[in-house]
Amino acid sequence: MFDFSIVTSWIDSMLRGVMPAWAALTIEYVLIGVVILLVYALIALSLIYMERKVCGAFQCRLGPNRVGPMGIFQAVADMIKMLIKELIYIRNSDKFLFKLAPFIMITASVMAFGCLPFGRGLHVLDFNIGIFLLLSVSAVSIVGVLLAGWASNNKFSMIGAMRSGAQMISYELSLGISMLTMVMLAGTMSFSGIVEAQADGWFLFKGHIPALIAFIVYLIAGNAETNRGPFDLPEAESELTAGFHTEYSGLQFGFFYLAEYLNLFIVAGVAATVFLGGWMPLHIPGWEGFNAVMDYIPSVVWFFGKTYLMIFVLMWFKWTFPRLRVDQILTLEWKYLLPIGLFNLMLMAIIVIFGLHF
Amino acid sequence: MSIIQEKINAIAPDAVYVEAQYPTFTIPQDKMRQVARTLHDDADLSFDYLVCLTGVDEGPEKGLGVVYHLSSSTHNHWVVLKTFTTDRENPMLYTVSDIWKAAELNEREVYDYLGIRFIGHGDNRRLFLRQDFKGHPLRKDYDPSSNPLSLQCEDGQDTTVALVEDPVTGEVKEEQRVIFSPDEYVVNIGPQHPATHGVLHLRTSLDGEIIKKIDPICGYVHRGIEKLAESKTYPQQLSFTDRLDYLSAHMNRHALCNCIEKALGLEVSDRVKYIRTIMDELQRIDSHLLWVSSFYMDFGALTVFFYAFRDRELLLDILEGTTGGRLIQNYNTIGGVQADLASDFIPKVKEYIKYLPKAMEEYHAVFTGNVVAEARMKGIGLITREQAINFSLSGPSGRASGWANDVRKNDPYGAYDKVEFKQALRTGGDVYDRYMIRFDEILESIHIIEQLIDNIPEGDIQVKTKPIIRLPEGDYYSHVETARGDFGVYIESRGDKMPYRLKYRSTCLPPVSILDTVCRGHKIADLIAIGASLDYIVPEIDR
Amino acid sequence: MGVINYFKTLFGAIATLLTGLKTTITVFFRKKTTQCYPENRATLKIAERFRGTLTMPVVDGKTKCIGCGICQNACPNGTITVITRSVVNPETGKAKKELDRYIYDHGSCTYCQLCVNACPYDAIKFTPEFECAVFDRSKLVMQLNPVVETEEVKPNVEPENK
Repeated sequence: MFDFSIVTSWIDSMLRGVMPAWAALTIEYVLIGVVILLVYALIALSLIYMERKVCGAFQCRLGPNRVGPMGIFQAVADMIKMLIKELIYIRNSDKFLFKLAPFIMITASVMAFGCLPFGRGLHVLDFNIGIFLLLSVSAVSIVGVLLAGWASNNKFSMIGAMRSGAQMISYELSLGISMLTMVMLAGTMSFSGIVEAQADGWFLFKGHIPALIAFIVYLIAGNAETNRGPFDLPEAESELTAGFHTEYSGLQFGFFYLAEYLNLFIVAGVAATVFLGGWMPLHIPGWEGFNAVMDYIPSVVWFFGKTYLMIFVLMWFKWTFPRLRVDQILTLEWKYLLPIGLFNLMLMAIIVIFGLHF
Repeated sequence: MSIIQEKINAIAPDAVYVEAQYPTFTIPQDKMRQVARTLHDDADLSFDYLVCLTGVDEGPEKGLGVVYHLSSSTHNHWVVLKTFTTDRENPMLYTVSDIWKAAELNEREVYDYLGIRFIGHGDNRRLFLRQDFKGHPLRKDYDPSSNPLSLQCEDGQDTTVALVEDPVTGEVKEEQRVIFSPDEYVVNIGPQHPATHGVLHLRTSLDGEIIKKIDPICGYVHRGIEKLAESKTYPQQLSFTDRLDYLSAHMNRHALCNCIEKALGLEVSDRVKYIRTIMDELQRIDSHLLWVSSFYMDFGALTVFFYAFRDRELLLDILEGTTGGRLIQNYNTIGGVQADLASDFIPKVKEYIKYLPKAMEEYHAVFTGNVVAEARMKGIGLITREQAINFSLSGPSGRASGWANDVRKNDPYGAYDKVEFKQALRTGGDVYDRYMIRFDEILESIHIIEQLIDNIPEGDIQVKTKPIIRLPEGDYYSHVETARGDFGVYIESRGDKMPYRLKYRSTCLPPVSILDTVCRGHKIADLIAIGASLDYIVPEIDR
Repeated sequence: MGVINYFKTLFGAIATLLTGLKTTITVFFRKKTTQCYPENRATLKIAERFRGTLTMPVVDGKTKCIGCGICQNACPNGTITVITRSVVNPETGKAKKELDRYIYDHGSCTYCQLCVNACPYDAIKFTPEFECAVFDRSKLVMQLNPVVETEEVKPNVEPENK
């Protein structure tokens, strides 16, 4: 299987060959930044298009089909529209915080995005507490939502922000606990370590019952973290018109929009990495021929394939379930997900101690 | 002498009795409240259902007045009360809004249109027109040029005026009442809001997520149809009915046609009756499907929304083939229907009524059984039977509270006396029952259509009418069961080719008036759910 | 018991969610109901009775309209204006009222069909032509009878009916 670190280290050594180390590092940083932002934007566009097509198909419709063949340029057209729209500031709003909020949102999601291992050796940040970093930087986005709601000087935004505060902070717990369960199984917090540990079988199968429970809890909590239906209370269209981003227009709204989709990608990407082996091909112990064939498929394809599959599942949820009410959302977390998650953590501990996993 | 007459005469000996379509009494204004109270409370009479409250201007001699159409939920008998005041400068009548809560918004409407203020009514604000409107449009001496188009934005009012009568001296005083105090957190839900289904404006006072008070503000699509009606001939009235409750276009027109035909003594052929009934039921299915889809949308379940729309579209195609319209049908005419059924109508309807119950299973699989949906619907927005009657909350919403108010059963019209059907009833009175009862009704409608579709008799589709239709002098009231409840048409004719006064009894005003009572203590999300379940169509409120 | 109930509600809830998921995924793979207008113009079926626009059929260069103005009176919102002229018959010398222009304001028409019902000569009818969008409102005001260039006789504009 092709290891991308060959490419990256080749670039590194080439750059270091012609310039001092600090210059080489600077160039590499800029390069990585540009690549990440580019990929970020492309993925967001693809997700917007995918969401529309998928939701259309669920709703007996075709979805976008006017701009370009099958409507593939619809998202691009929307992006252009969003870029050229006027930025509107509301009277008596807190201008500084109002402008800051979308940047916090987007920064948090870009940082979290950078943590993901896209393929063998294709990794921006890989260090021993990768999962911890990811959870903490993605939690920053709550601040963005709260600030957006507060600074807008709009009652709907305010209610939306308060709801999202309650919701995201609660679900952060379940998210962390389900991650912790899997960390326990893997014995490491670094993403590369987790992926390597799944070479002989994905954690979802290796960890059987507790892993499956953790997977479900993770999906629900992750969905709630991204503020997507059925947990889209902070923006609950039929109640709060657009919730915390009611007053945003143009590019600033675009930032929220992008961040929402990228958060979806990140949640799906983490699910794919931690539970479904990330870029690791499907290996079944004992089936050498099969495993060899699987290895021919590039690791990037594996990662994106799994991630998009997870995204599809999340979209499937979104377009099937009605929205919860704010007290129900908290009941679900505190009465169901959290106790189950804690119990599951114990179960996993027992299984790991006694080696009951595969 | 009937028992009603006896009891009224006992209180008000000078009440004038007229035997008309319904027993009609003209009662002096000072006795009105007492009579109303007796009619409501007396066990033999128990007129607990205020069907229609109409303000009228009878000219300088008789003065301004109010016509009350009362019915009883237990005895199913009717009475019409009229009361007048000759004071045109500062007309005042006694309120009945404490006896029938339904009168609350209706009396505000009367104040708006005719300037009659109600003593004891806690809120004398205009209902539909702007607060800075000059004059009262339904007065016969109203001058339209006194109100040039105003483009000024109107702020929400936080105070109102109540008229209070001193019990000792009998002096009437104005009293300031506070609707929202300055430190309340008031959110404007509407007029531009995804969940108000039009331009209804609910000023909602919140305590966190909890609703403390709702003040509905109507009139954003007020088109003055009742004023307009006074200058249009009877056939021309037909073009307005479809635009009131656009989802019950056909039934609204049925009510008006019934009323005019009754006044003219026209007897339509059985074929027309059958066709009208089938069309009514198809329209009811259509309306409930659209309602259910918007209900889903309010719950954030957009996928089922499209399922219901998908199925409604098939029905619209069938309707379009015969009536030539999808939303605005224009099908009933005075004395008949516009055109005969299209040749493929009957097979298509049969195919459709076979298809629909299966399609509805899908909604139930995705939404009704869903644990989230159930938790959001069950036990939310309870309306008791008494409340429903008191607020005149007719139609499916009232029947979900156990009030058997189906006009098709209680006062059959069209071909409803020839078919066997049950009126859907549920007793829970919560959002869930109001939701499920619509499905019961769809199935019942299918059942009615099944009985009629193969037995449409031959006959004329249009009775010859005079080129200019003049109704004989008198009052006429006719009502039908639309998809939203008891829709009535009250025509006061003076033998002219245009009505002297035409009033449409709104089916959607009661749900709006009950919102405040039901929603208090619930959460914002519940307000949306309750509003969705009560099913109001804003153009019908504002008229 | 509490514990049993807890799990009962939990699994019951999950079961209802799965039913929903199953239904939506079957619809996902089903044929879609979207109609691709305008690509499907050739196969698009509009009901014959659909009221798209008012027309005045012309047979042998003539319409059936005699300019009586009943339709104008029947219209609830002043969509129709019938303008007549008086033509003197050269043989008898008598003046006769005749249709000059039949103006139909499509922009304010509510398609109530009262004009068609009122017409004693079946001179006007609705056609299912529905693609009536224009860029300028004034283009919605149409003359329904054929435009004739000869303008010798002065049109006698009827006073608008009140």
